Amino acid sequence: MHVRFKETSLKDPLFMVGSGLAVIFVAISLLGPLLAPFDPWDMSFAPISPPSETHYLGVNDGGQDIFSELLYAVRNTVLFGFISAFAALGIGVILGASAGWFGGFVDMIVMRIADVLLAVPAIMILIFAAALFRPTPLTLALILAGFMWPTISKGIRAQTLSLRESLHIRAAVQMGGGGVYIVRRHLIPEMFPLYLIGLAAKAKTAMFMEASLGFLGLLDPSRKSLGRMINYALNFYYMDVWWNWLMPPILCLSFLIVSVTFLAISLEKVLDPRLRAALSGRTP
Amino acid sequence: MIRLSKYRPSRQMGLVVTFCLAALAMVYLSYALPRLLPGDFVTAMYGSSQVTLSEAQEAELRAYYTDDRGFGSYVIQLACLDWGYSYAFLSPVSHLFLAALPWTLLLVGLAHLISLGVGFFAGVEVAWRRSGILERTMVSGMTLLEGVPEISTGVLLLLIFSLHLGWFPSAGAETAYADLSIWARLAGVAYHLVLPLATLVLAYLPGNFLLTRNSMVMVIKARYMTTARAKGLPPCRIRYAHGARNALLPLVTRFGLRLAFMITGALVVERIYAYPGLGTLLFNAIQARDLPVIQGVVLISSLMVLAVILALEFVYKIIDPRIDHARTF
Repeated sequence: MHVRFKETSLKDPLFMVGSGLAVIFVAISLLGPLLAPFDPWDMSFAPISPPSETHYLGVNDGGQDIFSELLYAVRNTVLFGFISAFAALGIGVILGASAGWFGGFVDMIVMRIADVLLAVPAIMILIFAAALFRPTPLTLALILAGFMWPTISKGIRAQTLSLRESLHIRAAVQMGGGGVYIVRRHLIPEMFPLYLIGLAAKAKTAMFMEASLGFLGLLDPSRKSLGRMINYALNFYYMDVWWNWLMPPILCLSFLIVSVTFLAISLEKVLDPRLRAALSGRTP
Repeated sequence: MIRLSKYRPSRQMGLVVTFCLAALAMVYLSYALPRLLPGDFVTAMYGSSQVTLSEAQEAELRAYYTDDRGFGSYVIQLACLDWGYSYAFLSPVSHLFLAALPWTLLLVGLAHLISLGVGFFAGVEVAWRRSGILERTMVSGMTLLEGVPEISTGVLLLLIFSLHLGWFPSAGAETAYADLSIWARLAGVAYHLVLPLATLVLAYLPGNFLLTRNSMVMVIKARYMTTARAKGLPPCRIRYAHGARNALLPLVTRFGLRLAFMITGALVVERIYAYPGLGTLLFNAIQARDLPVIQGVVLISSLMVLAVILALEFVYKIIDPRIDHARTF
């Protein structure tokens, strides 16, 4: 697969906005602990005080600095999204490429499992697991990945089926390359651009899920999370604190998800020229 | 039929079997997982909740979860709507579930219907009128909306329309304790429904719109559209009978793929507006650490989603007879 990245992506406003926001959020997640003026678990400030020069976004009902909380929450959400998306991508690529290449029984089993997993609401399983076992966020991210790989592996499988017939793969087979060798050395590296779409799309789902789980009160209460902040702040929405307490996590979450959505849509356009023509708003 | 095709197990039959197995697996997990927990989880679970259990209640719960009559009797219990007893709400789980279900079906079902209808219609019309300012703004606006999660739209609508403007109620599904005529009651339900419904429609609409538009743009270029035009058919007939029907397919297929993930948004929206559906029930059960309710809602609603998606598989076949042959996976 060949992608003319410079000519296509860099001219696309969606890509520019999306990657710009993504860079900001990654920077916040990496530098969060350094930027935070206070320890977000420190409960020694005057509860529900309005923004001031020391507390940029004020203090919440528990006496914690909201700005520091926000930085840690963004970091947790981004991390959760990345881990879950990478795990889903790994499973999806390996299973999809194997299903497409080996066909037959492997294909049938993998695709049937994929069909079923797509039909099971992941949030319900996550809620059940979280309510029973109170797992770490890492475990939850991996369970979520177990439900997100099917869409990736379907795309990868379809692409593998068309790559099967290409000359260089046939040449590799002629030279005696085995199935595992071809999947590992030819198919998996070849489809790299597809992974970026998958990664962005799955990061979107995972971040949304993390926020929702936090919002529903299923994550560890001491762990900072955007969803949890929104949930707490919503209890006080009738007070005059909504703009400094409720809005920041909401805006962060929206921008975060907008950023990965834009990236996913613009990458999809780059890789599918038919779609590019359709999306650009001009008839080629 | 003159030509009898040789019997082959169709994809649909295979799917029915797989889905039934999956449903069985989920029931089994719901049966086995609580029994797998180490230690006395009843005490652990309710120790951190506001609910205080009496000795007898605790013993009963423990008996419910250590019941050794086996998986078979658990399935029979489920089928008889015996899903346990909630000590947080002091009511059988099935009553709670069945009381909440209609509200969720109303909210989520209506949101899907509206967003499918409006998204489809707008997508077709916008694709038909290419390269105008309308198209550009619609597509950019919808792309942006696609990225905004339900939590944000929900809270924003609540703040603006309920808190600041005071146009709509901020919680509930009908006016409480009011003795109203049937029409006034329906009006009250609709009035309470506006904000949560708008939130969900705003979340579902962009996906449907963009998908319809993208497939319609490609359909318009197809040769049969030129033929239809050459025959002198009225534009509306070309657009819908010839074009849009083909743009409908990806919409329905993708709907099945997205449904399971879209449940999340509905849960969150119900909690934001305290809408008395399954999402709020689940939220309250989580707050109270009330396991029987969590277990019941999780299991039964997952089985329902599974059934809806399986039913959709048969709908595809009706909309597009080719699909049985064309779909490779």
